[in-house]
Parts: sequence; C-alpha cells; structure tokens
Amino acid sequence: MATVQLSEAEKVYVLHGIRDDLRVDGRSCEDYRHMEIETDVVSNTDGSAKVTLGHTAVLVGIKVEMGKPRPAQPAEGYMEFFVDCSANATPEFEGRGGEELGMELTNTLYRVFNNKRSVDLASLCISPGEHCWLLYVDVLLLQCDGNLYDGISIAIKAALFNTKIPKVLISEGEDGGTEIELSDDPYDCVRLSVDNVPCIVTLCKVGPRHVVDATLQEKACSVASLIMAVTPAGTCTCMRKVGGGSLDPESIFEMTEAGKRVGRALHGPLTALLRQEEALGPTRQKVGFLG
Amino acid sequence: MPTDTKRVRGPEVSQSLSRFICKPETTLPSDGTRADGRNRDQVDVRPVFVRCGLVSQAKGSAYIEAGNTKLICCVYGPKETERKDETDMKCGRLFADMRFAPFSCPERGSWIQGSQEKDLSLMVLESLQPAVCLHKYPRSQIDVNVMVLENNGSALAHAITCASLALADAGIEMYDLVLGCSIRQDGASYLIDPTFLEESGSNWASGENQGSLTVSFLPSLNQISGLQSDGEMGEETLTAGVRTCIEGCYKLYPVIQQALVKAVRGAAPPPSES
Repeated sequence: MATVQLSEAEKVYVLHGIRDDLRVDGRSCEDYRHMEIETDVVSNTDGSAKVTLGHTAVLVGIKVEMGKPRPAQPAEGYMEFFVDCSANATPEFEGRGGEELGMELTNTLYRVFNNKRSVDLASLCISPGEHCWLLYVDVLLLQCDGNLYDGISIAIKAALFNTKIPKVLISEGEDGGTEIELSDDPYDCVRLSVDNVPCIVTLCKVGPRHVVDATLQEKACSVASLIMAVTPAGTCTCMRKVGGGSLDPESIFEMTEAGKRVGRALHGPLTALLRQEEALGPTRQKVGFLG
Repeated sequence: MPTDTKRVRGPEVSQSLSRFICKPETTLPSDGTRADGRNRDQVDVRPVFVRCGLVSQAKGSAYIEAGNTKLICCVYGPKETERKDETDMKCGRLFADMRFAPFSCPERGSWIQGSQEKDLSLMVLESLQPAVCLHKYPRSQIDVNVMVLENNGSALAHAITCASLALADAGIEMYDLVLGCSIRQDGASYLIDPTFLEESGSNWASGENQGSLTVSFLPSLNQISGLQSDGEMGEETLTAGVRTCIEGCYKLYPVIQQALVKAVRGAAPPPSES
C-alpha cells in the first residue's frame, strides 16, 4: 500500500489532535473529505463513474456481456470484479507491485457483494441455464491518498446506477437453436436497482478514537482499521479487520455502531445526487478528467 | 487467471458428480438440533484433537482435528529474509500461506492458489501478526504454512488456532496464543463452528440475517486480532456474533494450552540423576 513515512513527533501531533476531535485538515473524526462524483465518463462502457475523494481518484467501468450462467446458480447472472492499481497512482505499483493490493481489494469486493440482496442477480438472467448477463466491474485506481475502499464502493454504486443493460429478445430460430435479438434503439435498456447496494466505510483506530476517511498520514498512525460495508437499510454485508494490530472487543463494537451510522448517512445524499445528475439529461456539461 | 500448464488435469469438460445427484433439501433445517447432534444457539464447539511436533523437519508444527476438519501447520524460521530491499531493520516479517489440498473439499480444487486461498492467507497473517513479538527478530522472516487436509467447515478458524500453536511449538516468542472461532448466522439463531454443509453459501436461505463470521482472539490480552464477516447481517447480530465467538474461543483455550504443555514436557530433557 502506498505509505508515507511519519516521524514520531508527527505521529504524536496527529494522535493528540484526533483525541480532541480535530484532524490535521480541520475535519472532525466522522467527516468525509470533499467528494466529487461523475457518471458516464467513458463512452465505451455500459456504465461508468469517476469518484474523487480528496486526492484519491477512482474510475470504475462496467461492461455487460452475455454468457452462460454458473452451473450452481442457473437462474442468475453474476458479477466479476477486478481492481487494477495503476502505476499512475504511485511508482510502487509499477509492474506487478500493485497486484497484491489489487487482489486484496478485489477479494473484499467479492465478499461485499456475496449475498442475495445487494444486486438482484435474478434480473440478470435471460434464459435459465443458457444465457445470462455478466457484469464485469473494472476498477482503476488513478490516485492514491488513503481510503481506497470507500472511494471504490461509492464509484461502483454510481457506476451501477449508470449501467444500461440492453433489452434482449430470445426466440426460437429455424433449426431449433435460439436466436438472440438486440433491440435497435440504443436507449431501450434496462436499469439496475441500486437501492440495496452497500457502501464501504473504513474506520481507522488512531489512539483511543476511530476516524472515518483517513488520509495516508492518519493511516500511518493507526494500528488497525475496520472495514464495514453498510447498506441503506443499516445492515452490514461485510466486516473485516485489516492491519497488523489488534483491537479491543469494546472498540470493535463502538466502531461497528459508528460505521453503521456513517454508512446510513452516506447513502441518502449519494442517491439524491445521482438522481439529480441523471435528471440533467444527456446534454449536461461533462467535466471529465480535466476539472 | 493463472492456469496450470504443468499437470495433466483430465479432460477439460469433466464435471463433478455432485451436479447430477438429486439434492433432497438445500436449506438448513430450522429446528433445534443440527446434523451432528449439537444444538443451535449454544456455544457448542466441536471437540478438538490437537498435537504438536508432528513434522520433524519443521521448526515447529501442529495438527488439529475438529470433527472431520483436519489441518496441519508448519513453521519455518526465523531465517534470513529473502527480500533484501524491503528489509525492515527493526522488526521481522511474518509470511503466512494457507492452502487447501485438492481432495479436501467435496468439489475438487486446483493446485494453483486461487484468490480465495490468497484471501484466507491474508486473514491468517493479519490474525497472527499482533501476537508475535516481531521486534525480537530483526531482519528475519518466519514462514507459516497451513495445509487443509480435509475441510468440513470452519477451516479458517481452525487454521488460525493451528498456526499459533505451531508458532508456539517452534519457540517463536509471542504475546499470547491466537484462537479462532466461526459462527454461521441463520435468521435469528446461530450455529457455532459450522460444518461444511452448514457453511456453504448455496445453502443460504433468502431472509434476514444470513451470514457467517470468523473471529480470531487473544484470550489473555482480550484483544481481537482478526475479524471477517460475510453475508448480510444487522449490526446487533454482528455484535452478538462476535461475543459468541469470543466465548467459543474461551472454551477451546484449555485444550490448546494442555496440548502445548504436553509438547513442551515431551521435548524437555529428562531430569538429570544427581
């Protein structure tokens, strides 16, 4: 993971500030940094989103392909995740350096979406046992300044909201084989419901308190963090402790409660913002990558 | 995805027989007893058989058996660290690797480490790291290798226990033993130390609070060194689940301690005749 080296004095400074609920950039312990979200930034994808959280930038592209469903679940489609830590983010990620971090992020994403309610996989089925939609969710890390999990999960939610799956008609062909017809109108599509898609909240334990949306400096002062994926309803789909330190059970319970609170509060404004952006229509000004 | 080009795996289109067997039921029965006679909603961990010092070549080793779940762990080290450029002068490094034998699960797995195994290895590493006094081994690395011989549920939890026991058997200085425990939440009731059938994802009913939780715990210090949950659960359920896992760890603690004492006594030189 891209880390910064902090001296002992700097660590003490950060620790004391957090103890008094004042972080280096003036935020309180449960505040997020300035977040910018834009969807539909890459035209070749079926859904895309770019999220900038402070100095962390994440780009998610979703491509929809038709394929054979998994034998164990014939009436469902499925999602495939891949996180690529680009060498743009830090020189440590050059070549295969970012592979370990990418694998860790990918595995966590699989775990977060590994339940029946986050994404309605049954709606991705075209004909059971034969055809289904596969969602390839590809995440690209452009800039890395701490709190990758949160940025990635928000970007995935925005990209899923933006995803347009074409309408498909399966009919019997002349020789008994199935014929697949795609509708001619590019705007004739099915949208996914993102009402239950969770967002990940990372809580870092720094000293006696926990902070949300930690920068790299704050991460260097913490021993362990707790990652929680919280749905809008307040349930948790994945919880993981990361880092090389250990946590007291009481602090874990405290952090769980805080994570649930912060996560629930995140979904409301996010959904409202996405709908607002959608309402601007296809003629809106796209900021893209330069703003 | 990496493919295995060195071994002949059989025809590409081979399928497991389990797909063709008609399954009578796919969800867990929701009455009181479980398949192996234990109860729901009770901290009823499977009786555990533990032995240290099995592998003569390894610095330390341990074997654990819980029900039909069998694991073996070997520890090599401390030895000089291979990656010189990342040498941390002040403390040592721990490497953990967890693998499943291809015949361990009902469906045949592959020899190449899949992403799930890498994920589990990372969890084992994160659970063991707080417990090992790495600052006592500067410029060294300690390798922990866990091999699952037969997986009948709770492989990760028992792997963590086995690994910490192997580390203790190797004489690596530690703050405390690390014990693992997992539960499977099924609606309003929980099943502690689930078997493979109880654990597998395809058996999850669609309802509230379906998921599984694995906790690794340091009993003397009362610290949680590893936590991983799956599936969708409410926050109170998670909190209650963590408490239950901690209780489960406390139940295992005396057995593990006894096995360690036995191993140390066995390895100690006989008292001299004077």
